[in-house]
Amino acid sequence: MSTKKENLWKAFGGLVVIWVIGMPIGEYLAARLVHHWPLMGSLEAHITGDATTYLIWQAVALYVLVGTTIVYSAIRFSASRAPDAEPPPYQARSWTPFIVFWLGMSIAINLANTIYPGMVGLEQLWALQLNAKNPLVVDVTAQQWKWTFSYPKQGVTDVSQLVVPVGRPVEFVLRSKDVEHDFWVPAWGVKKDVIPNEIRHLYVTPTVLGSTATNPMIRVQCSLICGNGHPMMRAPVQVVTNKGFKAWVASNSF
Amino acid sequence: MATSDVQRHAQNGNGESDSFALSMIWPMVRAGLWGFTAYFAVAWITAMLAHTVIVNPLPATLGYVAGLIGWIMGSGIWEGWIRRAFGGEEAPALTGVERYFRFSSDPKATATRYVVFNIVAFLFAGLAAMMIRIQLLTPDSTKWWLSEIHYNQTFGIHGLMMLLAVAASVIVGGAGYYLLPLMLGVRNVVYPKLLGLSWWLLPPAAVAVFMSPLIGGFQTGWWGYPPLAQNSGSGIVFYALGAATLLTSSVLGAINVVGTIVYMRAKGMSLGRIPMFVWGLFAAATIMVVSAPATFTGTLMDLSDMILGSHFYTGPGGHPLAYDDQFWWLFHPEVYVFVLPAFAAWLEILPTAAQRPVFARNWAIAGILGITMIGPMVGVHHFFTAVSPARMPIFMTLTETISIPSGFVFLSALGTLWGGRLKLSSPALLCLMAMMNFLIGGLTGIFNADVPADLQLHNTYWVVAHFHYTILGSVIFTWLAVLYWWFPKVTGRMVNEAWAKFHAWWFFVFFNMTFLPMFYLGIDGMNRRIAVYLPYLHSVNFFVSISAFFLGAGFIIPGVNLLWSAFRGSKATQNPWGSKSLEWHSVSPTPYTVFPEGREVVVVGPNDNYAAGASEPFVWVPTTPGK
Repeated sequence: MSTKKENLWKAFGGLVVIWVIGMPIGEYLAARLVHHWPLMGSLEAHITGDATTYLIWQAVALYVLVGTTIVYSAIRFSASRAPDAEPPPYQARSWTPFIVFWLGMSIAINLANTIYPGMVGLEQLWALQLNAKNPLVVDVTAQQWKWTFSYPKQGVTDVSQLVVPVGRPVEFVLRSKDVEHDFWVPAWGVKKDVIPNEIRHLYVTPTVLGSTATNPMIRVQCSLICGNGHPMMRAPVQVVTNKGFKAWVASNSF
Repeated sequence: MATSDVQRHAQNGNGESDSFALSMIWPMVRAGLWGFTAYFAVAWITAMLAHTVIVNPLPATLGYVAGLIGWIMGSGIWEGWIRRAFGGEEAPALTGVERYFRFSSDPKATATRYVVFNIVAFLFAGLAAMMIRIQLLTPDSTKWWLSEIHYNQTFGIHGLMMLLAVAASVIVGGAGYYLLPLMLGVRNVVYPKLLGLSWWLLPPAAVAVFMSPLIGGFQTGWWGYPPLAQNSGSGIVFYALGAATLLTSSVLGAINVVGTIVYMRAKGMSLGRIPMFVWGLFAAATIMVVSAPATFTGTLMDLSDMILGSHFYTGPGGHPLAYDDQFWWLFHPEVYVFVLPAFAAWLEILPTAAQRPVFARNWAIAGILGITMIGPMVGVHHFFTAVSPARMPIFMTLTETISIPSGFVFLSALGTLWGGRLKLSSPALLCLMAMMNFLIGGLTGIFNADVPADLQLHNTYWVVAHFHYTILGSVIFTWLAVLYWWFPKVTGRMVNEAWAKFHAWWFFVFFNMTFLPMFYLGIDGMNRRIAVYLPYLHSVNFFVSISAFFLGAGFIIPGVNLLWSAFRGSKATQNPWGSKSLEWHSVSPTPYTVFPEGREVVVVGPNDNYAAGASEPFVWVPTTPGK
């Protein structure tokens, strides 16, 4: 019969030490990931990108706290450390302070995430959409397996590359000729499904000059399986200055 | 024939089962013969009458239905069940080795066949995964490996098989159907023949899905989204029929799980004394029964657009998005069907291994039930990029709240480990690894639930990483733990512990090396389901593929371990883990009659009291007649 009772608070002290060491290491690695984040080339990309990076800080923190507890418990409270084969003296089925703490923290984090980055991010995206003054309208037609763009106001019809001016909101009007597709420019941080028999709108304000040639994230990529041509269903993109856009329109319109 | 009659018959026999004879596998062979004959006969006749070819959708559909009926008839369902409805004699239930190769109302035989089926399906679907990773070794492998069409067919088969033929039944079927009567203290389930049928539906479904390339394949992935479903190969017919059959099989089992738990528990087993594992099975079964019919309907409507010329989702008047809602109605909560039995298994294995009771038991049960209730309400989070803004806040908020009950499971597990004396056997080690993997899987799920983050991450390799962490990293790790833990109960032997632990570490290391980089690939702009990718993604994909090959190769170890140990493993004591749970109170390997006629168990205490000097939670009383 073991008379040596575990000092559980001392064990918890050891766990706190692990947390103090592990948290900076984890968040340092998270910082490296965030530092090497790919291009955020639009206002919307900053909103969605910030949502993702915030959740990374949070997820790493939670992983350190809970993950180290699992590993620490398995080692600290392993049977090989106990000299005898008796069951542990600590047989409590519950401990209210821990349960209350856990319940409170999980509800708090959940509530916080619903507000930020959840609703705050959504409201910001919707605000960009609602406040878009004089957006450039681009009709996007998706079909197996290519993208076609038309600029109704500029008189540019059925071109296969997407050229947009920097700093101006663009309203993409999305239509499909056959199956479901998904319109995505990775650098612009948002995507939208293109559904047959329906019309969808996607608002993007590009903020960084560039082209597919300079950065592969600036490309149109279909991102919903649409048949065997799906991986190749891409389109080149150019984000140009206003002057450059006018020149392009002039040479591509009727 | 009542189970007790079967038991009396078996007990009056010589007590030892006959040694294996080749003639015992005849019903399985007959099932195959009748199944394939019926398939080709009906498909050919349909093709003739419809003036078309045998591989076209309508002949394939009618042929499949006929083949399914032929297969299950050949297995012994005719003489063992249906013949009685037509005024004939019911064939007696067999209690020896023969029952594994035919329709049987013994849940242990059914569960054993589930394990074998799951392992075979995992092998074939895993080989498909290896084919995928070979493809992705280089940016464009279509010249020397799979074409785009074949790649699309391959990931569709991989996904469908892994989800419906492996994950949906590994723990529920293989362990659940075996252990349910044992843990509840009863002799069988509530509808034994229905449970027996559930296994026999699996092989035709699996064969149809694997064989779908022969009739043109399907390129939609496991989703089957229209209108692509109707214009990318006739194989979609086998996709729909296979999925519908696998769902039916699941529901038949689920009815049994729910019915047995509600109506057939041992005396004294109040709700609070139901074992944790049984709560997990109950939750999974409830989800199936409630949510499967709507999705089953959607799958058949997808099929109807293909073979009957309906226009639910296709044509100028069709609504493809309606399918999305129907599809995800079940297939979101389906992931909880996979994982809740795994959570419950952790809370069955770890308390015994640590010799502590389940910490905060009622909170753990509340967590499992909370997930069960919220789970069916959140399917829209799989297509945030398709829905109107009005739906986004609702389903984002609902989805995020699932993290709260999920957390209760971790609360319970942590509290159980804390202050314990953990014997780190291979099952306990695998459960801990599953918990670590689920941490990553669950935390990354929050990103997908958050609409702003999801608008970028949806349909990228971030999502692929997330669901492999939750399903492969948690459910399959737990599957191995469950197989090793209850192996002595089923076979009377122990698996080789050294190899089990070695493989556990191999699995953990190469699993993380394969799937952790995929989060980065998603952030870096790699979308899903592409046979060809841009060169800037090459180096990470190469690393992932090599890691995946090691991951896949490692599975030879548990395969050999389980097979070898079943016949040559070291003999186990009756209760090798020192568990207080009821299933360890019968001899191992479990005899046909688990609890012999004439005695009943009465539950007088909890099954997780490891305090020194604790009294026995079960007492045996003679059966009172007329009960």
